[in-house]
Amino acid sequence: MSDNAESPTETQKDEPPTPQQPTEDSGTADEKKKIDVLLKAVGDTPIMKTKKWSVEKGRTVQSLSQFISRFLKMEANEQLFIYVNQSFSPSPDQEVGVLFECFGSDGKLVLHYCKSQAWG
Amino acid sequence: MSSCFLDEETFCQCCQLFLQHSHSLCDGWSWEQVKGSEEGYLRKTALGTGRTRCNQDQQGTSSDQHQERTFSLSFHNDDDDEDDGAVCCIQEENSSSSVVQYEYHILYSCSYQTPVLYFRASTLEGRSLCLEEVWDSVHPNYRQRLQHRPWDTITQQEHPLLGQSFFVLHPCRTEEFMKPVLKAALEEHRQVNYIVTWLSVVGPVVGLDVPLSYCTQVPEPPHTPSSSPQPPSSSPQPPSSSPQPPSSSPQPPSSSPQPPSSSPQPPSSSPQPPSSSPQPPALGTKPG
Repeated sequence: MSDNAESPTETQKDEPPTPQQPTEDSGTADEKKKIDVLLKAVGDTPIMKTKKWSVEKGRTVQSLSQFISRFLKMEANEQLFIYVNQSFSPSPDQEVGVLFECFGSDGKLVLHYCKSQAWG
Repeated sequence: MSSCFLDEETFCQCCQLFLQHSHSLCDGWSWEQVKGSEEGYLRKTALGTGRTRCNQDQQGTSSDQHQERTFSLSFHNDDDDEDDGAVCCIQEENSSSSVVQYEYHILYSCSYQTPVLYFRASTLEGRSLCLEEVWDSVHPNYRQRLQHRPWDTITQQEHPLLGQSFFVLHPCRTEEFMKPVLKAALEEHRQVNYIVTWLSVVGPVVGLDVPLSYCTQVPEPPHTPSSSPQPPSSSPQPPSSSPQPPSSSPQPPSSSPQPPSSSPQPPSSSPQPPSSSPQPPALGTKPG
């Protein structure tokens, strides 16, 4: 896994391609149909240096969640929670493209993330 | 902060609003009232998938199973009881994905002042899943965390209203994952439907799907008149009788913003603090 926040496009060795390409400029939809995702940390969850990501529409929330977890080097006892509109949590099987269509604004989907030791 | 908790009245209101949308979707939820009591709960049955032990050829499998998949991580390191290590490993050879009948109940917990998800799971032949099978069936997104401390996550308990054995998703840290949402709602002078938010987090863990439309269509419960409910940024009013009046809130205006909650976390075994007054409408209103 790449540790370099600036170039997370390196192919990950141990996992399928993860959301990559930090887009400092607005991501244009290439033939793979990507959407822009802006990740915002909640509470005292570590902030990702690269916040804006270009993600394929078909990517699931779970895949994104795994990516963030690894990026943040989370412990086994921690769980990452992702929120849309700061009002609900999308199902892990949900595709980010669908979320973007429903909840995207200004050409991007804003997702808040929080790590916690929930559940019990 | 106390606004991360839910009083029972608001729980009921949230449930009713949730239910209205469920009816419009034919999503299968129903409200079950306990006879002779004010208490009730939401209930739904659904088919899902789970990992169950194969019973056809091998009966009563020994739990000393060969294959430990790599993701049955920390059992041995973590828990005191070694037995759990053996029992809880994913048994590749003898378990498989199969159709499971789930029955979900959403109850209100007075001790935790939060909703709690109870559920049962059984094979189509009617055999109840055992605890290990339920753990194995947890959505992969949560599996690592569950395997770290399974006993803190899902266990079996007696259903408080029915007295039968159910699986429970532990509610102790509900506040932790509700807080970001409630805090944001408070800051933005909007409200959320606690049940919708909460279920969107806990449901997928145990195979319960919450369609996205709940998150946009279900209104918040009516609120104290002291703050006129702002048009919520993301939930348009549903066509069905929307109880989102500007001022006809049934709740007594407990106008103090946050009572200094000297007892922030209701301890797990103590009786609830009187919920009729001190708790503000637990959903992020900021008067004025």
